[in-house]
Amino acid sequence: MTARHRLELALPGASIGAGAGAMAGGLTLLAGQPTGVAGLSALALAVPLALFGGMYGMLLGRGVFRPGAFGPVGLYWMAAFPMSRLAQELLTGQGPADGVPAFLAYQAMVALGFAIGFVWLHERLMPRWLIRRATANPPAAALLETYVRHARR
Amino acid sequence: MDTSKPPAAATAPPGAGQPSTDERVWKAGRLEPMPIRKLPDAPPSVHLLGPTVFLVALGVGMGESYMWPRLVLLFGPEIRWLFLIGVTLQAVVMLEMARYAMATGESIFTGAARVFKPLMWFFFAVAVLVYIWPGHLSAGAAAFEEITGIPWTVTAVAGLILVGVVFSLAKVIYNVLENVLSLLIGTLVLGTAVVAAMVGSWGDVVDTITGMFAFGYLPPEAMSAAWFPVIVGACAFAGPSGMQQMWYTLHLRDSGAGMGVHIPRIRGLRHAGEEEAMPSRGFMFDTDDPAEMAKWKGWRRWVTFDALLLFWGVTMLVTISFTVIAQAAVRQNPAVREVIRNEDREVALTAMADAVSSAGSSVLGVIFLGFIALIGLNATLGLFDSFSRGQADMTYNFVPGAKKLKMSHLYAAFLWGVIVFGILILLFGPADGPSGILDTLAFLSTFAMGAYCVTLLLVNNRMLPKPIRPRWWTNVIIGAGAVFYLGMLLYSLFAYGVVVG
Repeated sequence: MTARHRLELALPGASIGAGAGAMAGGLTLLAGQPTGVAGLSALALAVPLALFGGMYGMLLGRGVFRPGAFGPVGLYWMAAFPMSRLAQELLTGQGPADGVPAFLAYQAMVALGFAIGFVWLHERLMPRWLIRRATANPPAAALLETYVRHARR
Repeated sequence: MDTSKPPAAATAPPGAGQPSTDERVWKAGRLEPMPIRKLPDAPPSVHLLGPTVFLVALGVGMGESYMWPRLVLLFGPEIRWLFLIGVTLQAVVMLEMARYAMATGESIFTGAARVFKPLMWFFFAVAVLVYIWPGHLSAGAAAFEEITGIPWTVTAVAGLILVGVVFSLAKVIYNVLENVLSLLIGTLVLGTAVVAAMVGSWGDVVDTITGMFAFGYLPPEAMSAAWFPVIVGACAFAGPSGMQQMWYTLHLRDSGAGMGVHIPRIRGLRHAGEEEAMPSRGFMFDTDDPAEMAKWKGWRRWVTFDALLLFWGVTMLVTISFTVIAQAAVRQNPAVREVIRNEDREVALTAMADAVSSAGSSVLGVIFLGFIALIGLNATLGLFDSFSRGQADMTYNFVPGAKKLKMSHLYAAFLWGVIVFGILILLFGPADGPSGILDTLAFLSTFAMGAYCVTLLLVNNRMLPKPIRPRWWTNVIIGAGAVFYLGMLLYSLFAYGVVVG
């Protein structure tokens, strides 16, 4: 498996993570703040969510996750989402107002909802992406076969 | 009536989709017996794609995004125990609706007709009376107007035409709609989670969740003519309301769940010619065969996962998120509480969006309104399809001569009928329905929920073979559901003289 093949498997998850992160980043724009600060805020969340989203796709390709299985993905995002949010809060210089433990606990709870939305979208996008890439990317072909087997069961 | 014996031999003539003379059948009610066929293998129980997306699209609406956050702001988070009961009840109703649809491939409407045909015609009439009015478009389109400045009637009319064209061109309507709704719901869930993560706090979510367990809490103000009907309405809107659960049986069938695999799928008008002959009744599997019963248990696991995680979980998540957003909005601007108490829905939603904007940025307010518009779009897509599907199913099976047409033709007729009527009403009439019958429509919508609980009890306990009938405790819950909906409705009517707020 070449780096390019792995990255191609990461693309759908990374796109969903980046999209969600950019939206969330936009929300942190404070009225009157310079564009640079707002951009940093968006980037500070979009980048970690994209990384974790992409990593999910690669782990799926390695068989660590099963297509459509929610439990493991829920746990994955319960760790990844709070870390991403904490990174954003620290990078933008605000820091959690209620203290780190309460902040992380709250974010972990919300992460379960994030995980449902993420998997729901990922399961829609990934098979279509794999169909496009299967001929040129053996790992994508193998993962597509897993999806097909899964659908036939 | 032979509903509890093992599948018996029948003497129906052979033909397209007809049982042969010596074929085993299941007799249920006075309608045509159901031939015995193989139950397909169940998919893995842990899955994320399926017909529940329709129920979520229909169910996550104004109740979750507006009514319950509003009640929390007015009466405190403890009022949410009623929401917990409402949604949990709906999850059990969903499982029981699925029981009949997956065991037979028939809709619950046909099940009702097997028990007592006028019962089915009652639901046919309620659907026409309640769901032909395009009022449900207004909240989403009004939110879109707030964002873009485009008048809401223009958006609503364009939306109606778009829905008609897309559903008419689709090869298999179910597939198109499941794909579109999955993307929309996924975006909604992802987005609300992110917004709640940005504006809420541990304290908000703890208040919201602990409030769900304050069983019996009803402040004196809630027990008044002004607010009790509003609470009844909010309970009816916790999760799917009106006839939405009944329509879910049609989506389940078209998704090929259980014995639905033996029923052809509805096609768009353009591809109606490719539709296979629709059988006039469903099918039953051999409940005496242990291998078939093992597959049945697999299907029950599959739908239980849908009911618990997807339906219950997503509905809870969206409501908790919107409640947290509303709490944050009031923290920023306490005047919002008064606006929400006094003004109408559109004004209150705008006030919430403004307060959310001031909590973060104008972008946040726009995204909040965007979610309201998205919820409106989901509901519209789901409602138009469901209404047409349900009415076409009843017409095809029970109106003499209707079988000369294809199911796709009837579906298109109801779809375009409701679209044309909707456009005329949007342009020239009252969108919610004539003011003189508004109370009657609200009453019928909630009454239908109590009525389908009773229907479910009758259908599942009398029309299914004994091994797959519901357990006693499920019957108790569904019976309690009938008492919950009908009791609150009638109490509101007789104690306060008001139907539903």
